[in-house]
Amino acid sequence: MTTKQSFFRLAAPFAMAAIVVSACSGGGATQSPSSSAAAPSTGGGASAPASAATGSEAAGGNMDKLIADAKAEGGLTTIALPHSWCNYGEVITGFTAKYGIPINELNPDAGSGDEVEAIKANKDNKGPQAPDVIDVGLSFGPQAKTDGLIAPYKVSTWDDIPDTAKDADGSWYGDYYGVLAFETNKAVVPTPPADWKDLLDPSHKNQIALSGDPRVSNQAIQTVYAAGLANGGSLDDAQKGLDFFKQLNDAGNLVPTIAKPGTIDQGATPITIRWTYNALQHKKDANGNPEIDVTVPASGRFAGVYVQAISAFAPHPNAAKLWMEYLYSDEGQLLWLKGFCNPIRYEAMNAAGKIPADLAATLPDTSGAVFPTLDQLNKATDLITKNWDSVVGADVK
Amino acid sequence: MTADVATISEPGASMARPARRRFSWSFLGVLPFFLFTLVFLVFPVGFLILGSFQDSANGNALTLGNYADLTTPTVARAFSNSIEISLVTAIMGAVFGLLLAYAVILGGLPKFLRTFMMTFSGVASNFAGIPLALAFLFTVGNLGLVTVWLKSTFHIDLVNDLGFKILSKLGLEIVYLYFQLPLMVLIIAPAIDGLKKEWREASENMGASPRQYWQYVALPILLPSILGCTVLLFGNAFGAQATAYQLTSGQIPLVTLLIGAQISGDVLHNPGLAYAMAMGMVVIMGVSIVLYSILQRRSERWLR
Amino acid sequence: MTLSGPSLGTRETLSSIQSSAATPPRPRRFGAGKVISWVVFLLAMLYFFLPLLATFDFAMKAKPEWAAFTNTFKDAKFFGTLLYSFTIGLITIVVSTLIIVPTAYWVRLRLPRLRPIVEFVTLMPFVIPPIVMVFGLIKSFSKGPLPLAASDQGNHVLLVAAYTILSFPYMYRAVDSGLRTIDVKSLTEAGQSLGSSTFRILWSVIFPNLRIAILSGAFLTLAIVIGEFTIAVYLNRPAFGPYLQNLGQNKSYEPAAVSLISFGLTWIAMAFIALLGRTSQGRGGGQVEVGGAH
Repeated sequence: MTTKQSFFRLAAPFAMAAIVVSACSGGGATQSPSSSAAAPSTGGGASAPASAATGSEAAGGNMDKLIADAKAEGGLTTIALPHSWCNYGEVITGFTAKYGIPINELNPDAGSGDEVEAIKANKDNKGPQAPDVIDVGLSFGPQAKTDGLIAPYKVSTWDDIPDTAKDADGSWYGDYYGVLAFETNKAVVPTPPADWKDLLDPSHKNQIALSGDPRVSNQAIQTVYAAGLANGGSLDDAQKGLDFFKQLNDAGNLVPTIAKPGTIDQGATPITIRWTYNALQHKKDANGNPEIDVTVPASGRFAGVYVQAISAFAPHPNAAKLWMEYLYSDEGQLLWLKGFCNPIRYEAMNAAGKIPADLAATLPDTSGAVFPTLDQLNKATDLITKNWDSVVGADVK
Repeated sequence: MTADVATISEPGASMARPARRRFSWSFLGVLPFFLFTLVFLVFPVGFLILGSFQDSANGNALTLGNYADLTTPTVARAFSNSIEISLVTAIMGAVFGLLLAYAVILGGLPKFLRTFMMTFSGVASNFAGIPLALAFLFTVGNLGLVTVWLKSTFHIDLVNDLGFKILSKLGLEIVYLYFQLPLMVLIIAPAIDGLKKEWREASENMGASPRQYWQYVALPILLPSILGCTVLLFGNAFGAQATAYQLTSGQIPLVTLLIGAQISGDVLHNPGLAYAMAMGMVVIMGVSIVLYSILQRRSERWLR
Repeated sequence: MTLSGPSLGTRETLSSIQSSAATPPRPRRFGAGKVISWVVFLLAMLYFFLPLLATFDFAMKAKPEWAAFTNTFKDAKFFGTLLYSFTIGLITIVVSTLIIVPTAYWVRLRLPRLRPIVEFVTLMPFVIPPIVMVFGLIKSFSKGPLPLAASDQGNHVLLVAAYTILSFPYMYRAVDSGLRTIDVKSLTEAGQSLGSSTFRILWSVIFPNLRIAILSGAFLTLAIVIGEFTIAVYLNRPAFGPYLQNLGQNKSYEPAAVSLISFGLTWIAMAFIALLGRTSQGRGGGQVEVGGAH
C-alpha cells in the first residue's frame, strides 16, 4: 500500500468523525441565528434564563431584590476591560466593595470581535470563561442583537442616555465616549502638532504612527475617518481621510509600526493619535518621564462611542444587570470621568449639577466634536478597511 | 524490511515462519497518540472545518464562497507573502543554526558554552511577539541603540546610508531569525551529537579536506535531520503572527494576520473566511510534508 | 547508522577521497576550524544580545533607574503567574514525552508508513490559530461526556492538553532526530534477545539514550508554555502570558523589565533542568554507546 493510500485510509475516518461530531454537538452552537434566537429582542437564546427585563424592574424598591439576586449568583465575569481604560480598575474594585460580588476578569486585551466570539463559544458553558457583559464598538451592537447574542435591559437612568447612542429595545446602550487626540512625546518632539495639517510637516518625518491596523482596529479606523473631517471631507465621505494618510505616507511621516506606550516613550513612534482617555492615562502614568503632550486637534474633532450589553447566555444575569445599574449610576459615571472618559450621561448630569468642577477640568476642551451615526460609521469603516491597501499602499516592501 | 517487522513483533517466533504483516498489534503502540490528538486537536478543529463552509453573513448557511474568496488578490498576496517569508527564514535559520550548533558542539569551543547555547536557545526560541518586535525597534529602529551609536560615533545613518530599514520584509525576516535560529540549534543538536568525532579524525587521516569531509561525510548524514528541521522552521514561521503585527501593523499582509483580523478585530468580521484561510494553511503544511517526505526518503538512502 | 553493509555512498566516499589525494595521505590540521567556530559563536551572541541590551537600556530609563524592575518584583501576581506557568509547563513536558517517545519509537521501528501522517498531525498546531483552538476546545467540552470547560480543575486539564498538542511539533522533531542517531533496531533486538518486554526496552534503554533529545524538546515546551497567551486567557487561567500582555497595555518600562526578567528566570530554570539531566546519568555529553556497532 502506498503512502498516499494509507494516508487517506487513516485520515478519512478522523476527518469524517470530526465533521460529524462537531456538526452534531456544535450544531446548536453554530446554527443560524434564526433558529437559536427565536425572538432576540424579547430575550435570550435557547439555554439562557429569560432576561426580558426593563429598568423598571430595578427602579424603585426592586433594586433591593436585584441586589439580593445578584449576590446569590456569587460572581460576575467581564471581558476586555483593561484597568487603565476609563479607570475600569476603580470601577471593578468599587463594584466589588459596594456589593461584595467578586469579578472574574477575562482577557483585558480582547477586541470587540473577540468579545462576541467569546459569547458564541461559551453558549453552552456556564463556566468561568463565559462573559456576562461586554463593552464593544458601536457597530457591534446591532450585529450582536441580530445574532441573538445579547439580552435587553434598560437601566434605571435609561432616559439620560442620548437616543442616538442606544437601541430602542434596550439591547445595547452607549457607555462613554472620547475624542481623538494627538499624543506626543515631548522629549523627542518639542513642538507637538496642534492640528491635522501639522502632521504633514517635514519635521515629523518618521514620527507618526497609528495605534493599530486600520483594517482591524477601531481606534485606527476612526483616526483615518477623523483625518478626513479636517481635510475637506465629511461624516458621509471617508475618502478624504484615506487621501490624507496617503499624503502622510508619501511624505515619509508615517511609520508602519503600531504605537504603544512603549514605542512612544522610547521614541520609535513619538506621535500617535488615540482617544483622549488613552492618551491622558498614558500621560498620567508616564508622570513626566517622558513628558507626554495631549492635544485635541483644533479642527476635525471626532467622537467615538462604545456600547455595553449583557450576554444572552450570561451565567450570572442578575449580577450583570446590577453591574449595568452601577455603571450608569452617578458613582459609576463619575469613576469613568476620573479615567478621562466622557460618560454617556455627561450632559444630563452636568445640567443637574452633579459633575464636580475639578473632575470636569481634567477633561480637555472637546467642544465641536462630531458623533457619526451608526450608518455613517459602518459606511466609513467599510470604505477604509477595503481601500487602505490600495490607496495608502503597502509601503513596507 | 518485511522480515524485520515479523521478527520484531514476534520475539519468540522462529525464522521459518512466513512473514505476515501484523499491523493490527503495532497500531496499539501509536493509539495513545492518535487518541489524544483526536480528542484534543481533531474535534476542536472540526469546528474549523465546518465553519469554513459556513457563510457568517448569511445565517451560517452552507457555502463554498469562503473558499472562492481565497483567490481574491488580498488573500492570494497574503499567502504568497507568508510562504515566502517562512521559506526564507526557514532556510536562513537552518543554515545559520547548523553552523552555530556545529560550532558549539563539535567546533572545539569550551564545553560549558554548549550548555549555555542549548539553554539560551530554549528561551530565545520562544522570545517572539511584541517583546521581540519592541526589542528590535529599540535596537535598530528610529531612535534605536545601534542607530544612534552609528550616527554619533561613525556619522553613518542606518536608513539613508546603509539602506537598512527594520520595517521591511527583510527586517521582518531578520527579526524572525531570532526564534528560528535557536529552534534549529536545539533540534539539530542530537543529530550533530551523533556525528562521531572519530569520523572526522578518520577523514583527516585519509587526507580529506574540510570541504570533502562536509560534502561526503557530514552533510549526507545530517541531511534528513536538516530537512526535517527546515520543515519545522517553515511551520514555525508560517504560524507566527504577533511579531509581524506589532512591527508592521499588518502592512505586509500575512495569512495569520488576515485570519486574526477576521476573528478578533474591531471590524465586523467574517469568521467563515478566516476558517477557510486556516484550511488553506493546513493544505500548505500538508504539501510541505509530502515534499519533505520525498526529499527525506531520497536522503536517507545514504544511511542504510 | 551501521557500517556493516556499506551503501553506495560510503564506497563512493572512500574511493573519491583516495583518488583525490595526489600526495600520500597525511593528517591535515583543522586549526582554522576553531577560529571559524569562535567567529560564528561571537557573531551569533552579538545578534542575540544586542536586542536584549537595548530592551534593558530602555527599561532603565524609568525614574528612579531600577524602578521598572523593583515594581515587577513587588507585584505578587508576577511570581504567582510565573509559578503557575512553570508548573503547567513541567506537567506538559511529562505528558508530552510519555506520548511522543513511544509513538516516535513505534513509527520508526514498525510503522514507517505512518510517518508522514504522524508528522502531519504533529505539525498541525502551527497552522491552527490558537484562538480557533481554544474556542473549539471550549465548544467541544462545554457539555457532553467530558464537560472539562465547566469547572476550574477541568480547565487546568484542558490547558495542559492544549499545551501538549502545541508541544508536539517540537517534541516529535527532537525525539525523531534523537532516534535517528541511535540505532533503534539493534538496541531493540538486543533487548528482546535478552528477554525484555517492549515496555522495559522503552523505559530502560530508549528513554535514557534519548535524554538529550528529550531535554531539547523539554526546553522548547517550557518556553512555549511560559509565553503562551491566547489559550490561557480564554480558558481564564492565571498564567504568565496574560499577565505580561496586560502589563503592556498602558505601561512602557515595566513590560520591558518583565520580559527581561522572565527571559532570565526561564533560562535559569532550563539550566537547572539541564543540570538535573546530566547528573542523573552520571556522565556528561551525548555520546551514545551502541553496543559495539560503531
